[in-house]
Amino acid sequence: MANLKEIKRKISSVKNTQKTTNAMKLVSSAKLKRTEELARRSRVYAAKLTELIEEIAQKMQNASAEGLDNIFFQANDTPKKIDIVFITADKGLCGGFNSQTIKRINQLIAEYQGQGIKVRLRAVGRKGIDYFKFNGVELNNEIVGLSAAPDYKQSSEFIAEVVESYVNGETDRIVLVHNGYVNMISQEIRQDQVLPVDTSKLELSTVSTSEMEVEPDDDDTLLDALVKRYVEYSIYYALIDSLAAEHSARMQAMDAATKNAKEMVKTLNVKYNKARQEAITTELIEIISGMESMK
Amino acid sequence: MELMKLEIVTPNGVIFDDEVKQVTLPGSEGEFGVLPKHATLVSLLDAGIIVIEKADGSEVAVAINSGYVKVDEEKTTCIVDGAVALSGEDSNLSKALEEAKELLKKAESSSIAIASAVSKVEQIGKSF
Repeated sequence: MANLKEIKRKISSVKNTQKTTNAMKLVSSAKLKRTEELARRSRVYAAKLTELIEEIAQKMQNASAEGLDNIFFQANDTPKKIDIVFITADKGLCGGFNSQTIKRINQLIAEYQGQGIKVRLRAVGRKGIDYFKFNGVELNNEIVGLSAAPDYKQSSEFIAEVVESYVNGETDRIVLVHNGYVNMISQEIRQDQVLPVDTSKLELSTVSTSEMEVEPDDDDTLLDALVKRYVEYSIYYALIDSLAAEHSARMQAMDAATKNAKEMVKTLNVKYNKARQEAITTELIEIISGMESMK
Repeated sequence: MELMKLEIVTPNGVIFDDEVKQVTLPGSEGEFGVLPKHATLVSLLDAGIIVIEKADGSEVAVAINSGYVKVDEEKTTCIVDGAVALSGEDSNLSKALEEAKELLKKAESSSIAIASAVSKVEQIGKSF
């Protein structure tokens, strides 16, 4: 009988877990819809901004013989110091979402250090911070709470510090790594070079060759402001993208968990019925054999 | 009269995308108007008001805090940080006016530019 009780307790506990995972799944799918909409709208802005930078970079490249001489565009083929900014979630229970990002970061670190490059890490999100702290890896900069609720101002402040160290020459390259949203059922790791602006990726040839007036006259003022905005927006967009991916990953993970719980309840039920039947059979045998012995 | 395309993009999406007759923009070097077939131009935008003359002759005003504009012959693209549209058709005009003033005051531009922009917002409020 003790066995029966135990199974019954197990069934109700699994059922409770199932309720929780199901609720988490519903919450995530609702949040995903909202974040997806946000991502969709900000994508237009990001695209326009990139377009504008492309055109101005093109124009400046045409204007001067030695190409772009702005600090934000000078490609450095042999960087000595690289800053990696990466985004993870603040919360777990979302499958391999965080561990995938962490895995990529570890790969990157190994790769860069193999080439003799110094790497500094800057983390957004509690899960990544916890992981690297636990493993004794020093983090240069960390921020919690931003990945759950992307805020333009906060993320700008965070990235401003990184940009400053780039301008000061403390770092030669800034790389941004996050787990991005592809669709409802898949995410992919995205790795972008934020600074210097990767001119090889820009489609410079498509731009018209007509003269372009620039106000204020001095190119650098406009370009500096534009690049600053571009960098700020890159990280902000990455945060939104990462949040959408987090929700979709959690939705999947919770869906799988709910299904597994259902399976488990089913098998436990079978087990329970078997045990009950067994107990009844044993009792019957006892009664019958008792009666037999009285004859 | 000829028309050109005008697009205003904010981080929260496209808020204006239509054919217009003329647009007046608050450039960092001073206010300027753009008509169709304007020479290619890129400019910083300060806090202020974008005044749009639509194809049917009606006027729409949009308060912005800062941004950029790219003009070429057929198309004008404004990339702005924050924007509040003010138009006569809007039933929540008073609320929009308040929002616009709030947005301008928060912008990090010179106080003179903001004062002039705020007074313009008030004028628009009266004219509708």
